[in-house]
Amino acid sequence: MNINDFDLKSISTHIEGTGDFISIDNDKCNLCNRCLVICIMNLWKKREGKIVLAEDYKQKCVECAACYQVCEPGAISFQYPAGGTGVVFEQG
Amino acid sequence: MKEYDIVIVGGGPGGSMAAKVAAEKGLKTIFFERGRKPGEKNSSGCGLGPRMWRSWPDMMKNLTEDKCPSLRAGRFARNYLVDKKGEVSAMILARPTESVTYEPAKSFITMNCYRSEFDPWMADLATNAGAELKCSLLIKGLIKENGTVKGVVDEKGEKYMAPIVIGADGAVSMVAKQSGLRDKWYHDHITLVPQYDFYAPREKIDLIMHEEALAVWWMAGGIPSAYQVFFGDGFHVGLGNWMQSWEKNPLYYLNYVVNLKHFQRLIKMLGAKPREVQAHLLPWMPYPEKTYANGVMLIGDAAGFPCPLEAEGIFPAMESAEIAVEVAAEAIAEGDYSENKLKEYERRWQEESSIGTEFDAGPQLWSVWKALPFNAKNMDWFIPMVSEALTGIFDWSEPHKVRIRQIVAHVKKYLPQAMPTLMSEFVPLFTKALEDDMGKLMDPSIMPTLINLLPKLMSLMPDKKKKRRRRK
Repeated sequence: MNINDFDLKSISTHIEGTGDFISIDNDKCNLCNRCLVICIMNLWKKREGKIVLAEDYKQKCVECAACYQVCEPGAISFQYPAGGTGVVFEQG
Repeated sequence: MKEYDIVIVGGGPGGSMAAKVAAEKGLKTIFFERGRKPGEKNSSGCGLGPRMWRSWPDMMKNLTEDKCPSLRAGRFARNYLVDKKGEVSAMILARPTESVTYEPAKSFITMNCYRSEFDPWMADLATNAGAELKCSLLIKGLIKENGTVKGVVDEKGEKYMAPIVIGADGAVSMVAKQSGLRDKWYHDHITLVPQYDFYAPREKIDLIMHEEALAVWWMAGGIPSAYQVFFGDGFHVGLGNWMQSWEKNPLYYLNYVVNLKHFQRLIKMLGAKPREVQAHLLPWMPYPEKTYANGVMLIGDAAGFPCPLEAEGIFPAMESAEIAVEVAAEAIAEGDYSENKLKEYERRWQEESSIGTEFDAGPQLWSVWKALPFNAKNMDWFIPMVSEALTGIFDWSEPHKVRIRQIVAHVKKYLPQAMPTLMSEFVPLFTKALEDDMGKLMDPSIMPTLINLLPKLMSLMPDKKKKRRRRK
């Protein structure tokens, strides 16, 4: 079994219903790319010279907040999703 | 608006312990969990340390397999030394050593269990003691008056007032942020830990792993060292590093470990299947920063209490919870919730708890870990040097006398790289740990002997050239 092949989405569980909980202020972003590198779910993309968050991030984010923590200019805002929604670690 | 004596943000082991102790003291207590139940947002690295059984025997004796089916005692830990090519160059199997003084620490290193089972068990103890728990509810902010925290507000705008708020809300602590105690962590005070959970049939783990329920994969070749922990019907494998140290997606490094030939063999033997992907931030500090403000105390990960060597955080979370609630009860009795009063919390964890003792050598312990498992360059000599020194003699390639010369010469080859790190990391650590006995160790009558002896010993050690001449 080559672990690089597994579909990460298939081994994570998410409860729907949260509003937005991550955002980026592109005026503050210095394009250091650290968020792109650190997100294990690959939820940050660079499009036309701008960092954007994947549209389906609410169904994939594991809520580690690494993108928020690693962002030196403070462009990324992070709050936890609404109570009772978001990622569930059944074997946490 | 609802009024309480004490509000606790977070339903992990720290928050539940705080709620339990507060309720037992007769304080009107509420604690909050953003998940549908405690533990569903958390992931355990390992599990529980034996100190929990020593500190809270009556509580811990009730933690049994029927309540927590994932329990598995980590009696043996296998240390895999993996070289830069990804080959396992040595394995060292360890169990609690002769110098360990008490049960159950003599019987297991860790008691592994999933947080999704342990945290609800802890929370039940708190609610049974009379604390109120609200789940599926995110606490969004602190309510402040004249620079003093007076309560919290939830995501629906409901207010919960209390003279004392305990921040048990983990590494990404809203309480720490809004009370002004911390905005973000310094980059080398916080790590990211990605982790996979694998399913494996219980009876296979019982048979194949037996009591060997822990492993560390010490990695050379620029991969952070990884841990592997076995539970009732599965195992975790994960690794961590500082925020700025990831040059590629963190899963690249974790996948490298999982794809090692040796790891793949384990997966096959156990019939293991990937079951869950997890990631969390883990504070890893040389020394915690300020843990109190007007009306607020931080406990557990929110305070930066995971131990400075391997970042075990459950025991210090629960211990700090007890201390914080003791101080809260005194503050409530005196009607003084000021920073000046709550400073007593910091004094007690520093001077009267195992957290203080641990962090007394915190800068040295933290630095050792930073210099070795988290430093790829150093692991490239550490792994072959240790493998050579510990296991090189068990070999039939030459007469053993020749082997000893070969091994010593080979270890010596690494010394120029190794000595600066060993001296700068281990000398300060041992000096700190042994500081009370330094007088005896530094006895002037033995020092000159030692100082003279070292270069002599070094010169006696063979090197490769000399050996070749001799063998001709």
